Amino acid sequence: MLRVAALACLAWTLWRALQPAGRGGAAAVDQSDLPAALAYWSMASAPSAVHARLEGVPSALERDWLAGLRRAGTAVTWEHSGTAPLVAHAIAVEPALDPKGGARVIVAAPPGARVVLRDALGPLDSTASSHGGAVFLSPASARAFGASVGTTVARAPIPDSLIVRHALVLGGAGWEAKYIVRSLEEEGWTVDVHYAVAPTHDVLGGPPATIDTAHYAIVIAVDSVAARSAAAINTFVRAGGGLILDGAAARSFPALAAGGAGTRIAGPAELHIVPDSAPRSVLGLVPVTQVASDGIVLERRGDDVAIAARRVGNGRVLQVGYDDTWRWRMMGGDSGIVVHRAWWARLVGAVAYAPAVAHAVSDRADPAPLVATYERLGPPTVSADIGGRLNAGPLLPAWAFALIVLALLAEWASRRLRGTR
Amino acid sequence: MTPFVFATARYQSGDWDSAPLVPANLIDSIARYTSIDVLPSGVIVPLDSVTLFEYPLMYLTGHLPVRFTNAERANVQKFLDRGGMLFVDDHNHDTAGVFHRTATEEITKTAGKLVDLPNTHELYSTFFKFPDGPPTTSHELNGWGDNLVHKNLQAVMRGNRIEVLYSSKDYSSEWGYHPDTKRFQAIDNTKFGVNIIVYALTR
Repeated sequence: MLRVAALACLAWTLWRALQPAGRGGAAAVDQSDLPAALAYWSMASAPSAVHARLEGVPSALERDWLAGLRRAGTAVTWEHSGTAPLVAHAIAVEPALDPKGGARVIVAAPPGARVVLRDALGPLDSTASSHGGAVFLSPASARAFGASVGTTVARAPIPDSLIVRHALVLGGAGWEAKYIVRSLEEEGWTVDVHYAVAPTHDVLGGPPATIDTAHYAIVIAVDSVAARSAAAINTFVRAGGGLILDGAAARSFPALAAGGAGTRIAGPAELHIVPDSAPRSVLGLVPVTQVASDGIVLERRGDDVAIAARRVGNGRVLQVGYDDTWRWRMMGGDSGIVVHRAWWARLVGAVAYAPAVAHAVSDRADPAPLVATYERLGPPTVSADIGGRLNAGPLLPAWAFALIVLALLAEWASRRLRGTR
Repeated sequence: MTPFVFATARYQSGDWDSAPLVPANLIDSIARYTSIDVLPSGVIVPLDSVTLFEYPLMYLTGHLPVRFTNAERANVQKFLDRGGMLFVDDHNHDTAGVFHRTATEEITKTAGKLVDLPNTHELYSTFFKFPDGPPTTSHELNGWGDNLVHKNLQAVMRGNRIEVLYSSKDYSSEWGYHPDTKRFQAIDNTKFGVNIIVYALTR
């Protein structure tokens, strides 16, 4: 009898599981109950309408699951029930153009929001959002990054990697070319160099190679010596190569330069120290004049344009008015050498040619969680009129489980105790 | 772009100004053989001065003991750390003289250990070719002094670059004449000086 009861309970449970999911009534669910409810609705009957009360932005899994319910015919609405306002933020990750690797992580967030950069192992950096976001340069070789604002984490993997070719420096033998080369080498770049030492004698560093994008990422013209290769550099830039015109070198490349090269303004005559606070304020300057209509001014010193950029064909050209920047390295303050080479590395990274190689991305991306929630579930419904409560429960109710166990135990006991009487 | 300026180091001990004609002679050679923009006159730079950093190649010579002050030593260390190069020439041409002993000790203390520079180093081919290494000087060949031909120069290396170049060959005597005198010479003996300057400007 007891065995029959247990078997009947199991048969009822099986019958219940095999019943087609019918449409129940409306259900409202809090965010804490959402995972269990979603699992239940996927296995049993889903309600005709679901209203989610979310204290924060749902995870990508919950959001996609709710969207799946909606596509399966359930009306899904949501509202924000938390005290802290929902904050929209987004993350974009791109590989840094740096021979040492790393990534540039751009986060869009409301001004003043605390943005925490993290990878799979934990937080890496944090800052307050300003001007609509924050930018992190991460040397870490993580496959994916997350940026959290409050409790919401936006995630994005590095979509591809860059092929970083050599840099080529062309100039007369002098301190400027020498210390540009040394700074870039210290930053990890492989630098080939052609120094003109005499009319018939060049000093070469690195194997002679054709100036094209197959060999070089960037050409740095330190002075008019580079004009000897003007035709090749012109073709190189139009094919996508980067070009930096340092100081008066712009005069030799009028078709590529972002503007003209004005009369040199010497630094202070009695200068012996380049201050850390404003190092470029005391360098010699060949101002960029008559910036091309498609040129962009990137830096000014007083009324003079110090740095301007321009696109030419597929390539980018940076005209840097500062000359004798080696003084910054030699005569700068305690951080002079580090800041000088980092500055040069940034200039080079801004315009160098670096073909990208896409690689398979296995990490789950969720670059803009709140935006995706709006996109998948629509805007929140204010004071939703949902009558029912969540009717979610386990597939096997507790009372049925207890009944089965008790019946089986009693049946077993009756067999064991049958001979003791 | 500022021109190259030949700089002679002034230090508080010893006779730093023992070779006053060398700068003019080397400047003449740079102007004569290369297209390097060079200032026609050199400068004298105190080793403990902030002006040291304006001249990334520094020439130092003398006969007498060399003892850097703490300020000079600290300044030279910073100068080398930032990428400066120091060329030290023993004006005595010997191996056990007071300049040699004290200067090498001071270099070791300030920059690191001196090692023999291979005679195949690019310093010997960067402009003029010296297949046998550093050119000998007349003082080495005429029996004056210790009658010793030094086979190598020495250097303190940083990576693959020369940070301090040390010579016992007495180029300060060899190059210590008025540039106009060159017209009486069959071979200009300052050509190796050109190599040192070109190396400093390009490596």
